[in-house]
Amino acid sequence: MRKGFDTRSLPGFGIMALLCFAALYLPIAVLVVFAFNAGDSIAVMQGLSLRWFVAAAQNEQVIDASIRSLQVAVAAAGLATFVATLAAVATTRTHRYRGRDAKIMLFTVPLMVPEIVTAVALLILVSKLKVWTGYTGLGYLILSHAAFCVPFAYMPIRARLSGMDTTLEAAAADLYASRWQAFAHVTLPLLLPGIIAGFMLGFVISLDDVVITEFVKSAGQDTLPTYMLGQLRRNITPEINAISTAFLMLSIVLIVLFYLLSNRKKT
Amino acid sequence: MRDSSDMGESKVLSAVTLAGVAKFFGTFKAIEGIDLTIRQNEFFTLLGPSGCGKTTILRMLAGFETPSSGEILLDGRDISRLGPNQRPVNTVFQNYALFPHLSVAQNIGFALKMLGRPRPEIRDTVEDMLALVQLSGRGDQLVTQLSGGQQQRVALARALAPRPKVLLLDEPLSALDQKLRKTMQIELKRMQRETGITFVFVTHDQEEALTMSDRIAVLSNGALRQVGSPHEIYNHPVDRFVADFIGETNLLTGKVIRQDGDCAHVVLPGGVTIEAQCPHAVSAGSEVTLAVRPEHCTLAGPEAPLSGFIEQVVYFGTDTHFHLRLPGGAPLVLRRQNAADGRALPQQGETVGVALAPSATRVLRD
Repeated sequence: MRKGFDTRSLPGFGIMALLCFAALYLPIAVLVVFAFNAGDSIAVMQGLSLRWFVAAAQNEQVIDASIRSLQVAVAAAGLATFVATLAAVATTRTHRYRGRDAKIMLFTVPLMVPEIVTAVALLILVSKLKVWTGYTGLGYLILSHAAFCVPFAYMPIRARLSGMDTTLEAAAADLYASRWQAFAHVTLPLLLPGIIAGFMLGFVISLDDVVITEFVKSAGQDTLPTYMLGQLRRNITPEINAISTAFLMLSIVLIVLFYLLSNRKKT
Repeated sequence: MRDSSDMGESKVLSAVTLAGVAKFFGTFKAIEGIDLTIRQNEFFTLLGPSGCGKTTILRMLAGFETPSSGEILLDGRDISRLGPNQRPVNTVFQNYALFPHLSVAQNIGFALKMLGRPRPEIRDTVEDMLALVQLSGRGDQLVTQLSGGQQQRVALARALAPRPKVLLLDEPLSALDQKLRKTMQIELKRMQRETGITFVFVTHDQEEALTMSDRIAVLSNGALRQVGSPHEIYNHPVDRFVADFIGETNLLTGKVIRQDGDCAHVVLPGGVTIEAQCPHAVSAGSEVTLAVRPEHCTLAGPEAPLSGFIEQVVYFGTDTHFHLRLPGGAPLVLRRQNAADGRALPQQGETVGVALAPSATRVLRD
């Protein structure tokens, strides 16, 4: 940093920073605190208790929705990561040609399409498919989630690949590796942190999706977020807070895991 | 190209032959008309300034580029269309390109693993290679934990492990500091001798080329200028480019008076006539360029026909450089080895006699 200019010396900097952090984390902190409420209210604290965690853990609808959420998230993120990896390899391990940048854009533009538009489009498509095929299983949800997870998974994988020295692959080829061997022994292991990042991003995105799930799911296919949304329309109890807190813990564990993994790879 | 050292060479000795090789990138001509024979077990250097096409030739030998026309023969077989993994040629890359996720031993054993060799064989070869590059006991380390010089050795070991017919080295010493570079020059030469593998070395550093090579090919603008031993290249440069690029050279212009066999009599702008080597025919009256190394110029008594005004004296420890101005205005650098007798040397501002050794003064082709 340049000497004589330290942002921390600006008047009001500390307060602004504090306000920003408060806006980011205070609502979450309040949510977590009320998850431990012994009373029935989400506004008045009546002593500490784990009763709502127990209630949530014994609620079959919650268990059901949680399992479904995890199934969909794992399958969709896995599928999306696979597709995104192929796409990233195809768009970085090639010479520059006319239309390549357009292809890259086609992969990332869905990030900017309003989710509701995608949801309506999928609703129309899926309802037709349901009629034609008669199949009403989780497959639609998985495919829909996978579709909007692809750009999220694509970005970190592509970033990792374009930062990777192509002479490593040239060296592998020089050392008698076939194309497939070079990919399996050099590209893939070096790409792994990017793939894990892509998978986790896709997993988290799928896990908390409401809009597309709400539009695509068949009857009785609530995921955890759509179940919670449904509950909010009835009576709100700290059970929702407890579920959210558990959700939060899962995310934190994933973030920490990812952080540890990516740091280990760097050194 | 003029390859004075290739006379009467038998075909058996050739490791790599380039025949009429050209490479164009779009409309840009990288190299053209390359005819070159690299012999078995020799340390061969492609030398030239950046952009001369030396790296393009190396990449074509490795299989990363395909010639636009011409053939590349390895042991008499055309390999110019084969992929890099299909030819027994390995490369030491400029930035080493070691696999950061693999250990030293895994890096060295990579090629053998790709070739599907049995594990015990890979292990033994890796041990041998570690010993060759003096890194025994370091096999389990990650390559990222090694110093630049050690990474260089791993890169060498990795490329030598599958015992290629030809080892290509792409300016591998450029990232090392001066002292380490000198050590590695000697090391490389030793490894080439011990393994008996043909080394093709690319560099823009003429000193490096002279120190290590059995033969050197000098390139400029995508064409071969001269191929020969370091001695030939240094002492008998065929043209102005080679004379100027390799070592320090005085270039003088003059007019030919007459030619007696290999000896031309040339009059310098100051009016002094000198003798110079001239193996090719020149006509009397034509303007020519003469090349003479600073160490082949000597201080002479005042009775010498050629004289020079001392503009500057630079002391180098082992020798002294005199920057002279000849009567016609041409500059001349003269190098004199320092003697221990402490005899007084001519000083700046004095005019001294100068002798150019006729056997070391050459008329260049244009």
